[in-house]
Amino acid sequence: MISISPKALATGSEPLIKTPLDLNNLSPEQVALDINKLNLYYGKKQALNNITMSIPKGQVTAFIGPSGCGKSTLLRCINRMNDLVDDCHISGEINLHGNNIYNKHVDVAELRRKVGMVFQRPNPFPKTIYENVVYGLRIMGENNRRRLDEAAEQSLRSAALWNEVKDRLHESALGLSGGQQQRLVIARAIAIQPEVLLLDEPTSALDPISTLVIEELINDLKKQFTVVIVTHNMQQAARVSDQTAFMYMGDLIEYSDTNTLFTTPLKKKTEDYITGRYG
Amino acid sequence: MNKWFKSGAPWIWLSAGGVSISLISVLGLLWLIASRGLSYFWPSELYQFDLLDKNGVKSVVIGEIYDREEIPVGQLAHLNLDLDPEQEVLERLLIKTGNRELVSLDFRWLLSHNITNTQKPKDLVVVERRTHGNFYGYIDSMVVDGNEVAVNKLAELLTRVERFQQQIDELQKSDIGAINYQLERLRLKARKYQLQDKLTPERQAKIDSEVVNLNQRYAKLEQELMGYREEISRDHIVMRAMDGQLVTINFEYILKVTFNNQLSLLEKVSTFFSQIGGFIIEDPREANTEGGVFPAIFGTVLMVLLMTVIVSPLGVIAAIYLHEYAGKNAFTKLLRISVINLAGVPSIVYGVFGLGFFVYMVGGSLDQLFYSENLPSPTFGTPGVLWSSLTLAILTLPVVIVSTEEGLSRIPLEMRYGSLALGATKAETLWRIILPIASPAIMTGIILAIARAAGEVAPLMLVGVVKMAPNLPLDGNFPFLHLDRKFMHLGFHIYDVGFQSPNVEAARPLVFATALLLVSIIVALNMTAVSIRNRLREKYKMLEH
Repeated sequence: MISISPKALATGSEPLIKTPLDLNNLSPEQVALDINKLNLYYGKKQALNNITMSIPKGQVTAFIGPSGCGKSTLLRCINRMNDLVDDCHISGEINLHGNNIYNKHVDVAELRRKVGMVFQRPNPFPKTIYENVVYGLRIMGENNRRRLDEAAEQSLRSAALWNEVKDRLHESALGLSGGQQQRLVIARAIAIQPEVLLLDEPTSALDPISTLVIEELINDLKKQFTVVIVTHNMQQAARVSDQTAFMYMGDLIEYSDTNTLFTTPLKKKTEDYITGRYG
Repeated sequence: MNKWFKSGAPWIWLSAGGVSISLISVLGLLWLIASRGLSYFWPSELYQFDLLDKNGVKSVVIGEIYDREEIPVGQLAHLNLDLDPEQEVLERLLIKTGNRELVSLDFRWLLSHNITNTQKPKDLVVVERRTHGNFYGYIDSMVVDGNEVAVNKLAELLTRVERFQQQIDELQKSDIGAINYQLERLRLKARKYQLQDKLTPERQAKIDSEVVNLNQRYAKLEQELMGYREEISRDHIVMRAMDGQLVTINFEYILKVTFNNQLSLLEKVSTFFSQIGGFIIEDPREANTEGGVFPAIFGTVLMVLLMTVIVSPLGVIAAIYLHEYAGKNAFTKLLRISVINLAGVPSIVYGVFGLGFFVYMVGGSLDQLFYSENLPSPTFGTPGVLWSSLTLAILTLPVVIVSTEEGLSRIPLEMRYGSLALGATKAETLWRIILPIASPAIMTGIILAIARAAGEVAPLMLVGVVKMAPNLPLDGNFPFLHLDRKFMHLGFHIYDVGFQSPNVEAARPLVFATALLLVSIIVALNMTAVSIRNRLREKYKMLEH
């Protein structure tokens, strides 16, 4: 068994050992998202089986698991991106502030403003850097130039991109490198001040250095937002997350604080996966 | 050999051959049209031929060499020519002799065998006239106000006449034209009141007084016009034709007098360009066989622009519905197949449809509803530029729909998701992200539509094109753009001049010149659209992942 020392690669000045949260007994104000008996079907095929978990506020939660295990599907349920897939139906609840987001009265656009998302491949719009960042604000009807400028600067600073692009805000975003584009997309997502930020394998299309920068960024982001990240890279999960959920074939196998999951997994499947026997 | 086949080289050669054949045919076509068309504007040399036929009769022919060809002697056996028995072919020349009032045909074949002497006299002139075509001959004398003057006054006199002519045109077209237009509107106003039983004596009196007022202004302008007419018909020129006859030509009819044989190369070049300019900006004369083609250029461009304005929003909206909102079921598939098949319907069918539906049904109903005072003479219930644009818009609709849909489906899903994940609705995403990115594809559709519509003639013959339109669809009279008017079109002009004109031989170079112009206009319209598309592409280009 390869022992991975979690946090060994973590950067920043946080203490190496923290008291882990008791994930089964979180107080309501500690919970950002409460997933309850969630089942998802693509046509007749069931992709998520009865998932129940609570995602704590202000922390980084990682979903790991082999390809096709349903980790991305679960992530997409949180901001209802699965609504865009034909033939997809869902039962169960996801509660944000005690309100079920699958309630039929929920305004999906409104929900997506509270739950932002960053995709696997950087997808900046073919607009200027500035227009990319303020896109969400413009959609919300903000047209005040000064407020847009402030929001753009603040978001780009939060996404650790400001120093690199401040002199070319009005050039096309497509001229940026892959890693910069991904940070731009993060800046775009946080410009509208969401509560939860979903990251769907945000570094899988990036080189190691850009990956490192994004990982550092994730560490900073959790001060403001609840971050949920899907990754197929276990080291990454170990480095950036506070909680880790291991999924396999649509089931949530094990969910605990990252330290415990990687050092003393309770389930055989988890152990097999993190030691590289399959996946 | 087998190895050579396996290497794939033959296929490369074959495909390269295909490309070269298409390239050669396109360039060949352009070269043919350009050389034939442009030579029409080059001032050709004027010749005087002394002829002697086999009966010993001498004669003189003056004119331009139009064409030359070699014919086998056998074909001319019936003429019993006295020929060298070794000789197999004989050259003959086609001479444009003009002078339509003297000879029935202004073209004549000459056998080089009969020509005893060819010369290019310096004082030979060609006179371009408003009617009867060119006159070739020598200036005998010029008469100004009854007194004979020296020939060197010619330029001065021509300028004077031109100045008066411009004033006459101005008067006729804008001032008198506007009065006629207003008189017609007053008549229609009175008729409208009459139909609605609202023609009170006060209204009648008001209209009458306006009519009187206009008529007075008309009489005044007419007098002015008569004055100018008198001025320009004051002088005349006496020409000596090839057979020695004297012909008097009034300055009123003279457009231009050129001593072609005295022109230097530079003067020839400048004449060449001024002829091209005249061809582009002037109105046609003499059943379209002379003069310029401006109304046809204007009509073609206006019709194409109107068509673009109509077809683009329609096609884009239809494509957006089909691609973004319509359910993905068998009916949508059927709809899409039908749209694609519409592109294959022969254009004349659209013409018939346009005539039946737009002109008679829609136009007829519009007339009943809004222009009843003008009936029985139709306003919109007759072919016109609006119906032509609409018909061609329907004809080109499938092209725009197909290319727009293609463009929409090429946009990566991530773009949509990116926008939706930021809280944009589908409509906002469509408007702010999808349509801008699809705009180059939409432009491609528009380019294809323009290319197809600008070259289409057959349906237009049913829904709006005429041989000679008295007025442009755009003028200074309210409401300025007259969509009900008929218009002239370059494509139809080619057909009309080349095959329907009284003097096909004379019109032949005009056909090539007009074809060249039509091709250039289509290329220009396309280039404009292509450059817009390229700028959009540059702006919205996707990163290659």
